[in-house]
Order: sequence, then structure tokens, then C-alpha cells
Amino acid sequence: MQLFYDLQNSISSHIERNAFCINGVFYKYSDLAYSISVIRRSIQINIPETDKVVGLIANDDIESYASIIALWFEGKAYVPLSPEFPKDRLEKIITQAEINTIIDSSDNPLYPGYNQIESKKLLKAEINLTPKEVSGNEIAYLLFTSGTTGMPKGVPIARANLSGFVSAFWNMQMKIDKSDRFLQMFELTFDLSVMSYLVPLLMGACIYTIPKDKIKYSYIYELMEDHKLTVTLMVPSILQYLRPYFEEIDLPDMKYSLFCGEALPLDITEEWSRCLPNADIVNVYGPTEDTIFCTSYCYNCKTDYKSHNGILSIGKAMKGTETVIVGENNEKLTTGKIGELCLGGIQLTPGYWKNEEKNKESFFYINHKDKKERFYRTGDNCIADADGDILYIGRKDFQIKVQGFRVELCEIEFHAKTFLEKINAIAVATADTIGSTEICLAIESEEFSCEPLLDYMKTKLPIYMIPKQILFIKPFPLNVNGKTDRKKLEQLFNKSLI
Amino acid sequence: MERNEIKKEVKIIFVSVLKNNNFEISDELTANDVDGWDSLSHMVIVTEVEKHFDIKFKLKDLNKLNNIGNLIDLVALKTEQKLILPDGL
Repeated sequence: MQLFYDLQNSISSHIERNAFCINGVFYKYSDLAYSISVIRRSIQINIPETDKVVGLIANDDIESYASIIALWFEGKAYVPLSPEFPKDRLEKIITQAEINTIIDSSDNPLYPGYNQIESKKLLKAEINLTPKEVSGNEIAYLLFTSGTTGMPKGVPIARANLSGFVSAFWNMQMKIDKSDRFLQMFELTFDLSVMSYLVPLLMGACIYTIPKDKIKYSYIYELMEDHKLTVTLMVPSILQYLRPYFEEIDLPDMKYSLFCGEALPLDITEEWSRCLPNADIVNVYGPTEDTIFCTSYCYNCKTDYKSHNGILSIGKAMKGTETVIVGENNEKLTTGKIGELCLGGIQLTPGYWKNEEKNKESFFYINHKDKKERFYRTGDNCIADADGDILYIGRKDFQIKVQGFRVELCEIEFHAKTFLEKINAIAVATADTIGSTEICLAIESEEFSCEPLLDYMKTKLPIYMIPKQILFIKPFPLNVNGKTDRKKLEQLFNKSLI
Repeated sequence: MERNEIKKEVKIIFVSVLKNNNFEISDELTANDVDGWDSLSHMVIVTEVEKHFDIKFKLKDLNKLNNIGNLIDLVALKTEQKLILPDGL
């Protein structure tokens, strides 16, 4: 595939440039080339040809990144295994993915029971960056996301999917080159990491990572300021943490500030844009199943911006992606009707890993643009406007029923946040003591009297949408991907009932 | 304010935020040595320390707070600055 030759060319033609800054230490493309080559050599010796899927302990070091590329060049795929995850969860993943070999850069292997490649302890090898020719149907990586039944779900991304993403990304026509400096804030188990390391590597640019023992949001800021980062992809929760300090922040070198992974509130985007006088802010959207992200909306490319309930639009499909909004029976809905956003096209996963049942639930075929096209149900309720821009309404599973009424939790959050101004609030649904659904509101603040807030909300919302419980939590808990952990908030409400 | 005094008060804040008492406060103490001291509780501790001493850290300061000694030094510095430069200056 052309993508992997492009990667080879970029590494070999930027050999003297910096590729990574990890924990304050710079590594050149020559260091990366060397590390890739020794790991490849070890893969050739230690992993049988037929073994396509290889486990990778996701550490924050040059060897972990080099391992990904070594596996790709050898025609194999990686399954990131976070050393911070509980062993039980990791073992479920290892079993499901049928992993025999684990590449580990830790000082002592975390899973000594498996065939090991200890990537920090390898002997010398000749530089070898020529990729093996393999079909686009072969997978590039296999990520596991949380399944509702407690069993992690595997999402394989084919090489053709990844290549489709990269073409679509170039098609966004960002003005970036080898002199750019990219933030990579994600765990390798989260697919936003793939864009954050792959795009810069394809251009000969430099990647700045976050050491695992650092406080993420303040470290990110330090990188942005000290190293004058020019391109960042972040989850919006980081902005909530930085918000009290916005006045101190001035980053004139920033060119592109991308957000993905959560709804991006309009008000905080406006404030953030003042910290980045020369940057485009781009809201991108997409589930792991559709390869990293697949729609985009530029906040400050136009004079008027679109939003719904205070959430910025997610824009239009990127090149090669098809979007439709469908009703309960997979029928396509017309402009302005709320339905479930479904995605098809070049970036769409071939389907969940060995999980036919889940595949039947999540994927379907409909006629689209005169041909039969496969689509994935995102679980996100959306609306498309007359220009074709998509507005995010909320998670389908955040749409709950209270006393028989359909309620969007986002709408409750919107009104609460409008009243609270700069304070963040999240609505969750829990079962009350007799098992019926109850709306609760978590407010990220010190305690204060809620009466004015509730009085305001009563002027905006029907009574069944008014929160029955309020908790003050500061700060909100984040999950391993850096997003606000709604599950944990729900548990806090359940606990407070007892 | 005296360092020892600050240290005593900081200890009280740590115990109340982390809800445990099984650590000795010393300058070298880091997050790795104390149960429950993670990114999230770090932010709560920062807020509580700011409130208690009536000071405000800069975003850049937060990365320097990786052990208790640094925290105490910074609190000492900020409270001193406050004496020299009263509010509004």
C-alpha cells in the first residue's frame, strides 16, 4: 500500500530532523529508523509468518512507536495493551485477539508467559525500512473498546481504512509541513493517538508526548508554550481544566487546534479561540469503527458558526465517507429531522472482531447514491441542516425516558450550563429507590444554593426534566481516555442514594 | 509564613482530600508514595491549598508541584508576595 511507502520515504528523507520529544528528550528520525530496524529483525526471527496480530505494551517511549511501524512494515497489526489496565481485562483482550507474542519495552516483561520481544534489549541490525507488500484488507491495528456486557469489543482497522483516513486528512488541506510540532496526548489504546503520531511522521514533523506520571492538562500547556506547538488534537475535557487559566494563555504559534471525542461546547470554544489568535479551531468527529475521525467542522473559517444546544456542529463528511441520518426502520430522514447518524465509506471497519451477533446489530445495508452501501450505527442522534452540516444532538443512550417522555440529557445540561455560565454540569439518569428513571445533575463546583438554578430551569424545561438530585463534584472524574467519566458520576449518585 | 507551619497545614489538607493518614509528610514525598494522590486529587489539593492560603497558582506552577517540598516553597513564595503586593496591585 502506498501509505507505507510514503511512511518509509518520509522517515528516510528526514533522517536528521527530530521525530519525537518524549519526557524532554529528543529523538531523531535516524533513531526511529534504527529502532524500527532492530525490532523488525526480531519480529522476523521470533514471530511466525502466519501470526498477524501482535500485542504491544503501550509505553511512552521511542520503542513503542517504533514497534508499531516495524509491525506494519512486516505486514502485521498491533493490539495496544495498556500497562495501567487491570490484568483481568488485558487477559480477556489477549485471549480474544488470540495473541501469541507481546512486544514490551518495560524493564521487566509484564506478561512473561507469552512469546516476548523485549524491544529495549535488542541487538544491532541493518537499517531496513522497506515495507512488505500486503493487501489493503489486512488489518493495521485492533483496538478494544468497552462492551456493554463487560466483555471488551475488538475493532479491527484495515490498512485500506487507515489509508482512506490519511487521504481524507490531506484533503482537509491544512497548511502543515516538516517544521510543524504536534501534540500526542493520547494513550495508544485510544485511536486518536494514531492521527497524532502518523500524520506528523508522514511529513517529517516532530511529535511531543505526555509522560504518564505528569498532570496531563498542565503538561500539555507547558509543551504548547515552551515548544511552541503548532498542531494539537485534544479532547474537550482538557479545555474545562484549562479554563480557569485562559487569561494566562497566549499561543500565537498555534496553527490548528482540533477537538474530538466529546461534544465541543460553543462558549468554551469562543474563549479558547482568544488564546490562539492565529489558529483554526476544527471540531472533528468519528467513532473508532470509522477510523479515527470522519467529519469535520472549522469553527473560525466562516463568520457564523453553527451549534445546537450550545454544542458546535460536527460539519460534513470527509472525503470518502458517506453519512446518512436514519429513523427507527433505517429509513433515510430528510433535512431537519432528528435521527441516528450512520457512517459508511472507505474508513469503515470490516466489522467487530469475531463477533457476528454484534455485527448484525451495528451494521446494515441500504441503497445510497444508486448503490448498496454498508453503514454503521453510531448511536449518536443528529440533525442535518440545509447546507448538509451535521448538528450533534446527543447520545442515543443518553436519550432516556422519564414518565414516558423522551428526554435528551444534553438539553438539560445546556440549560443548566447557560445559567451557571462558566461552570460545567453533566446530567445523568439513574434509577431511584423504586427503580424508575430519575434525572440527576452533577455540577463541577464548590457547593452553593441550587434554588436559583432550579427556578431558572423550571422556566425553560418541563417539570419531568428538572433534576431530582444535585451533587457538587470538583473536578469531574476523567476516564483513561481523558473524557469526563459519566459512568463514575452515575455511580456517585447511586451511592448517595444509600 | 514559616515553612514548618505551612507543612503542618498542608498535611491537614492532604489528609482531608486523600482521606487517609498513612504517610509521613516530608519534602521528598511524591505522588508515587501516597495512596490516592493522582491527577484528579492533585487538582483538588491545588484548589484547597489555594483557598486555604488565599493564593493563586499560575498554570505553569502546577507542573512544578511534583513533591511536597516544591509545594511548600511555592506556597511560601506566594504568601510572601501577597504581603508585599496587597490585592489589586
